[in-house]
Amino acid sequence: MTTLAELNSGHMPTWCPGCGDFAILSAIKGALVKLGIPPHETVIVSGIGCGSKMPHFIRTYGFEGLHGRALPPAQAIHLANHSLTVIAIGGDGDGYGIGMGHFIHAMRRNMDLTYIVQNNEIYGLTTGQTSPTTKKGTKTKSTPYGAIDTEVNPILLSLASGATFVARGFAGDIPHLTELIAKGIAHRGTAHIDVFQPCVTWRKDLPYELYKSKIYRLEDEGHDHSDFGAALKKAMETERWPIGLFYQVQKPTYADEIPFIKDKPLVKQDISNIDISKYLEEFA
Amino acid sequence: MKSKNSINFMIGGPAGTGVASVGLLFARCLQRSGLYVFGTNDYPSLIKGGHNIYAISAREEPIYSLCGKPDILIALDKKTIEIRSGELSSGAALIYDANRIADAQALAGRQDIIYMGVPLTEMATKAGGEIMFNTVALGTAAGIVGVEFGVIESLMGRIWSKKGPKIVDANISAAKSGYDFTSKLKKSGFAKRIAKKKVDRKMLFMNGNEAAVAGAIAAGCKFVAEYPMSPSSAILHLMAGHERDYGIIVKQTEDEIAAANMIAGAAFAGARAMTATSGGGFSLMVEALGMMGIMEVPCVIFNSQRAGPSTGLPTYTDQSDLKFSLYASQGEFPRIVIAPGDVTECYVESFNAFNLAEMLQTPAIVLLDKYLSESSQTVEDFRSLGLKVERGMVLDDEELSDLSGPFKRYECTASGISPRCFPGQKNGMHVCSSYEHDETGFTSEDGKNRTAQIDKRARKMSNVPEEMIAPTFYGAERDSAEILMVCWGSTKGPAREALRMLQEKGASARLMHIRYASPFPAKTVLDELNGAKRAIIIEGNSEAQMRSHILEKTKYYIEETLLRYDARPFTPDEIASKVQEVLSKKGR
Repeated sequence: MTTLAELNSGHMPTWCPGCGDFAILSAIKGALVKLGIPPHETVIVSGIGCGSKMPHFIRTYGFEGLHGRALPPAQAIHLANHSLTVIAIGGDGDGYGIGMGHFIHAMRRNMDLTYIVQNNEIYGLTTGQTSPTTKKGTKTKSTPYGAIDTEVNPILLSLASGATFVARGFAGDIPHLTELIAKGIAHRGTAHIDVFQPCVTWRKDLPYELYKSKIYRLEDEGHDHSDFGAALKKAMETERWPIGLFYQVQKPTYADEIPFIKDKPLVKQDISNIDISKYLEEFA
Repeated sequence: MKSKNSINFMIGGPAGTGVASVGLLFARCLQRSGLYVFGTNDYPSLIKGGHNIYAISAREEPIYSLCGKPDILIALDKKTIEIRSGELSSGAALIYDANRIADAQALAGRQDIIYMGVPLTEMATKAGGEIMFNTVALGTAAGIVGVEFGVIESLMGRIWSKKGPKIVDANISAAKSGYDFTSKLKKSGFAKRIAKKKVDRKMLFMNGNEAAVAGAIAAGCKFVAEYPMSPSSAILHLMAGHERDYGIIVKQTEDEIAAANMIAGAAFAGARAMTATSGGGFSLMVEALGMMGIMEVPCVIFNSQRAGPSTGLPTYTDQSDLKFSLYASQGEFPRIVIAPGDVTECYVESFNAFNLAEMLQTPAIVLLDKYLSESSQTVEDFRSLGLKVERGMVLDDEELSDLSGPFKRYECTASGISPRCFPGQKNGMHVCSSYEHDETGFTSEDGKNRTAQIDKRARKMSNVPEEMIAPTFYGAERDSAEILMVCWGSTKGPAREALRMLQEKGASARLMHIRYASPFPAKTVLDELNGAKRAIIIEGNSEAQMRSHILEKTKYYIEETLLRYDARPFTPDEIASKVQEVLSKKGR
């Protein structure tokens, strides 16, 4: 029985008051409690950024790696011990900018892990530059005349890359987000959850109220999340911003195709006395 | 004075004509005949065409590099005759396709070699396919030196078994026709013969990549994340080929950055993890290297050096990444850098790298180079070495349960080495972070803590006993040596052969081969240099990188150098010549 108290790391988050990351932290804790996952069997893997400080604010195992590089170690930790619950997390710059290559490849591997992106459409920790999800034309510290690049569509990208669970949440709706994260963790395969995360310091032009006015829930409008075509269509909507589960499908996971970890996680296998005779045969 | 029962062989042709596979087979035939063999390849960076060779030296005693000029050359095309004839010894046999080449002598321009035109294509076609003309030539080469045909037959059956019995039989038939043809060559005047010797120990024929993989598997490596890059790609193929035999997860990644970051994650989770690459790939791993250093996760990175910089010469060799390996990544943190010198050391030091990385909880770089990675040697079976897996300070569940308070993954111990535990273990929760951190792993910008963590990480390196990392010595004793030759990495082979040549000429030389660049055996190296009458350093780069490293670590500056940076390995001749030149100089 996991409790919220158990998950308290004892460290106060260093985020700005009102930051959407508080809600995301809350939702992750809520999801772990809901699913009853022991903290010592959970690993939160992050990159670098405001949101990537997450591992320090929750009492589980944590790996705070390099900027843009949360997914590679998350995948490796999962493969090394697939009995663990692995949650990769990071911002939109971390995941869709510098980390874009790893993102696409991770989505197509369908390893059993969850990837939460704290999407605030800005680079926060470095004080306000444009990010891959910053809408074209937005004025930021590095784009004072308006961003020229067309913004990335993360949902479309993960659908196209073969992700088997694609969802979007909103930091302004914690119960909904908690449910989504719990579903994502429970999903057998890669779960991508992009989260609208208002940044109260650098994106005062994107306040909670604006999100609330544009957002609607996919499940409220009869969206069939087993329909890939419908998911693609919803992913391309710009007038309104859908949240909820876009797409989910059951497929074999990456680990399903590795026969020798079926009965025992890799790290539990004995390495004290390896016999290399078979390997040496071809050189004898 | 060459050993009587010895032979030098070369085969050359365009890529795609089986130069390496025939060369390798001939090398193994010689080993089966009781000789010690050294074989190496040379090929440009392309898939078809160009000029490839496989060269062999074999003799009754252990052999460490190519020694002397080829006594036999199989030329599979005209280009080979043009390019390589000048290298042949006097009286050498040049085997070529009489069906395709009209006037070999005009191409070769030598009066003192024996031209053996053999109807290779005709005989190959009769045996089942023109493509086997290289096998016919192999048969002839074996025939003229006296290798028993049975050896060829059984080796082909074993090594080429994957091609299927039909192809194997056709090749045996092709080789036989080439072998039998030698009865027509009895009056050629070719004098070299080898005598079959009985071999009582179990010997292997392996190259550096193959031995490094053996060491990694034996050391319990369970996770490989790698991106293909010449000359390290074979490591990926070998590991992948055996993943199910040994339960090793092998992942070809999207790039080297993913590879390096993956192995850090795997190591954090408790799996012994490695990657392999060459200079350009290692460049991409640099940020992750520092992360491994500050996180204190053990990873093993094999860098098989090619001639750089940048894309450089992908299929040629160099020793120019030493300093790069020692200093890569921002900031200061300990790392292990080992450069094995021969195939057996590739096995041993690969194994050691995994142990040391976990003992010191820091990344280990094993420096190979194209020459070492792809040159094969006769070596004794590694299983007799009896190396043991040692995982360092890893706490079990019971030890963890005794703890009160948060687990201090980065505890400032006297040795600098902190206790380690893995995700899944109760009571051991901590964050492994690339930020500077306090003893629990929590991000910390505090000055006192920062100084303490830097010192803690640095003093981890002092835990390695000097005996483990000490250089190896060959040749004369310190007191009697006229000169101390210093080298590192694969220069060891040619240097050992040079030592032999010098001994035969009555010169008393001593060779010091350095394997560990970090931690560095400063005391032993300085003692040795101080006790030497003269010293010379031999390395395959233009800036004398090991000389600089020795200077930094011992304050000793080695005046004399022999540097080679034409992207080729040293020859024993040039080393011996240079040493003699230095010896003949007046004064120190």
